[in-house]
Amino acid sequence: MIAIIGAGPAGLAAAVTAAKKGEKVILIDSSTRLGGQYWRHLPSNWKQKRLPYFAEAQELFDQVLSSPLITWYSNAHVWQAEKKNEIFYLYVVKNGVEEVITAQKVILATGAYDRSLPFPGWTGPGVMTPGAAQAMLKTHGVLVGKKIVIAGTGPFLLPVATGLASAGAEIVALLEANKQWRWVFNVHGLLLNPSKIREGVYYLKKLRSLGISIQYGSTVTSFEAGIATIGKKEIACDVVAVGWGFVPELSLAGILGAKLSVQKDGTVVVDVDRNQETSIQGLFAAGESTGIGGSVLAIAEGEIAAGKGNRVTRWRAQVFAKGLQRVYPVSSGWLSSLNSEVTLCRCEEVKVSDIQSAIDELGAQDGRSAKLLTRAGMGLCQGRVCGRNVSEVVACHLSREVPDRERIASASRPLAGPISLGELGDGLGKKF
Amino acid sequence: MSANKNFDAIVIGAGIVGASSALALTNAGLRVLVLDRGAVASGTTGAGEGNILVSDKEPGPELTLALRSRDLWFELREDVGDSFELEAKGGVVVSRGDDRQLQEFADKQRFAGVDVRVVGDEELHELEPHLTRGVNSGILYPQDAQCQPMLAAAQFLKIVRQRGGEVRTSANVTNIFSAMGKVTGIETSVGKFSTPIVVNATGTWAGDIAKLAGTFLPIAPRKGFILVTAPMPQIINHKVYDSDYVANVASGEADLQTSTVVEGTRSGTILIGASRERIGFDGSMNIDVLRRLAAQATSLFPILRDVQLLRAYRGFRPYAPDHLPVIGEDSLISGLWHSAGHEGAGIGLAPGSARLIADQIIGAEPFMDPTPFSPGRFQAGAA
Amino acid sequence: MIQPNKSLTFTFNGESFGAIPGQTIAAALLQAERTTLRTTRFNDEPRSIFCGIGICWDCVVTVNGVSNQRSCLIEVSDGMVVKS
Repeated sequence: MIAIIGAGPAGLAAAVTAAKKGEKVILIDSSTRLGGQYWRHLPSNWKQKRLPYFAEAQELFDQVLSSPLITWYSNAHVWQAEKKNEIFYLYVVKNGVEEVITAQKVILATGAYDRSLPFPGWTGPGVMTPGAAQAMLKTHGVLVGKKIVIAGTGPFLLPVATGLASAGAEIVALLEANKQWRWVFNVHGLLLNPSKIREGVYYLKKLRSLGISIQYGSTVTSFEAGIATIGKKEIACDVVAVGWGFVPELSLAGILGAKLSVQKDGTVVVDVDRNQETSIQGLFAAGESTGIGGSVLAIAEGEIAAGKGNRVTRWRAQVFAKGLQRVYPVSSGWLSSLNSEVTLCRCEEVKVSDIQSAIDELGAQDGRSAKLLTRAGMGLCQGRVCGRNVSEVVACHLSREVPDRERIASASRPLAGPISLGELGDGLGKKF
Repeated sequence: MSANKNFDAIVIGAGIVGASSALALTNAGLRVLVLDRGAVASGTTGAGEGNILVSDKEPGPELTLALRSRDLWFELREDVGDSFELEAKGGVVVSRGDDRQLQEFADKQRFAGVDVRVVGDEELHELEPHLTRGVNSGILYPQDAQCQPMLAAAQFLKIVRQRGGEVRTSANVTNIFSAMGKVTGIETSVGKFSTPIVVNATGTWAGDIAKLAGTFLPIAPRKGFILVTAPMPQIINHKVYDSDYVANVASGEADLQTSTVVEGTRSGTILIGASRERIGFDGSMNIDVLRRLAAQATSLFPILRDVQLLRAYRGFRPYAPDHLPVIGEDSLISGLWHSAGHEGAGIGLAPGSARLIADQIIGAEPFMDPTPFSPGRFQAGAA
Repeated sequence: MIQPNKSLTFTFNGESFGAIPGQTIAAALLQAERTTLRTTRFNDEPRSIFCGIGICWDCVVTVNGVSNQRSCLIEVSDGMVVKS
């Protein structure tokens, strides 16, 4: 049996491909709906939009639901995993019971989440990731605010802006931190992926029709009492949605011992070979966990991980994804302009100044010791939000680069998901 | 040897034992250098609960050391400042079955000077309102305390620096020099230093450092897991032990043993600890141990059933074959002092161990007979 | 926007709210313009949803007596008692 973790584009594509090859698949996902973060909760009128990739989603959903070989194990999350004698043991929590799923082959399709950078006011209500605004709208038809500023960097800001505006929000500013000319770095990617040009043109037209213009080269520097500061300007708004690209979710890859590596821009990814196999035999990875690349790449990787996919499609999408990293870099400027009174770790309420005094007074000299001495990154989210930022603040304060091993360490954590002591202590329920 | 710096003493290891030793020696007037191959408190200290216990010790030299250490912890708070979350929260040992053994153990401890109070059903559940009703008697040890060990080590070293000492981290010790059986200096990845006194406070790795110096110390690692829960409002007031914990600590069996210690911390998390395994440096997570710890903790405190596990960490506790720490001067190389092998009790015993060494180094009368901890007990015939 | 019936009711800090079946606690409260979901344990700062997908744990509330539950993931059920 093949166990696939994550029912987003990569996981769905892998499941369908494996089933076509006649293999039994268990598709484990923490949500009650298919689609992952990217395709989850499509609005009921999505078919009216002539976007080819939404049709692809529906086709995959239909195939997963109709295949007798695929068990969709929803509302379940893997909290722990191990490999013993060539067999993978995935410990899953579903409906308050811990279960074990065994498989000879595992495909990790665990996706990614928004990357956030701290700024004054970012912990207060009203500040959120673009992903949060999007999820609230798509899942529940809830608009997170009336007057919204969207900021950060990356192509994801565009669908978020058009989605929120179409639903009735006023987008008071759409700020892309990088300049438009940087697309020269991805001309080859565009030429290899003409559909991306169409997609871009679609959103730009849509924005124009909604009366929204993109301001390039600026961002939100603070948010307080309903006022967002953008450079020297102040704008009244009730929501600021800021995202700086994405962070791959690698907890399970780390727990299973797969080799992780650091990309040029500091993103930690799981290493895979040309078949999407990680350094652990039988453990495959597809989608954002191998590098942020979007749904086309995720689908291609998922199919290849399952044993039959188009390598040319993957190559094209990889070229585009690499180009995107150069178009939308996150400048280290946020570090130099960082106010020491800003909260760095939201969970444990650790300020930048706490980290600085742990270094200056208590002798912390790397991310790990700074975290142990301040509790930064040790709260409920286990450093998913602040881990990378803490390492970068520490390195900046010590005037050096973040070592790769530290980046990898802060992408790893001992538990992949939550489990209560009752669930854990009750022991394993039924087995697959 | 061309040394670029001279120190009165060099302490290897920036964990709690090393930091305490460095502070004691600094306070005794010595100029001290502290070296660590990693960062401050990055080894066993960083993986400990911060236990300062007298309740789990049988009458004997270790209990004498523990009692003195416990007082020294509070003296250190006067000296260093209230900066390491020291709390005299007290321990409660409970038993589910026949508690006669427990009471006999407590009687012996009381005779040795431990503050011990037997508490009945009603008082027990007043002390710990969420404790299972299946337990109806216990023993309160008001002296048991807790600190945040990483902060303690870092704060001690901060004071050492303020008082003229030096701390060099990421400094690997590559050689320990001696001439005519006497320590003369040390070679590290950050340079050479000369000194007449080296304190080996490297915990689990103390055997390796001893070997570098040309002597011998049988310190082995023992793996321990600690579960950390999501932060909660305070629901557990003391350190609460299942009584088999005490039995396990005194046991020499090598297979897996688990028993529970449950306690709250100032940051709101609840720590569940005390699994013990002696299986070398195997760093892997043993999920069954986590399950067993969770089951034991929730049976003691049913309210914990709905509490989320936040993380689990493991640390390697250094221990000597006779389960007593090794504190004292090497019997083969003079000027080389060891303070290691404190097993799960290193945080609690650190200040007493430091004082014991400092007193002997400066020629003062030690507060207790140091012979039972002497490294020489393992070194006869080792040369 | 689609506005199906809010056929479910739940309480948040004693106050009654409606929710559409399938809606999460955070979504229902946000729709009712109740942005502060809790205050922090050290500095008593107000917090709301942040990541919206269960990663950041900033939106945690106590649901039927169980603390630290992510309001952005947990769907409302009728009669649910939610507290900051």
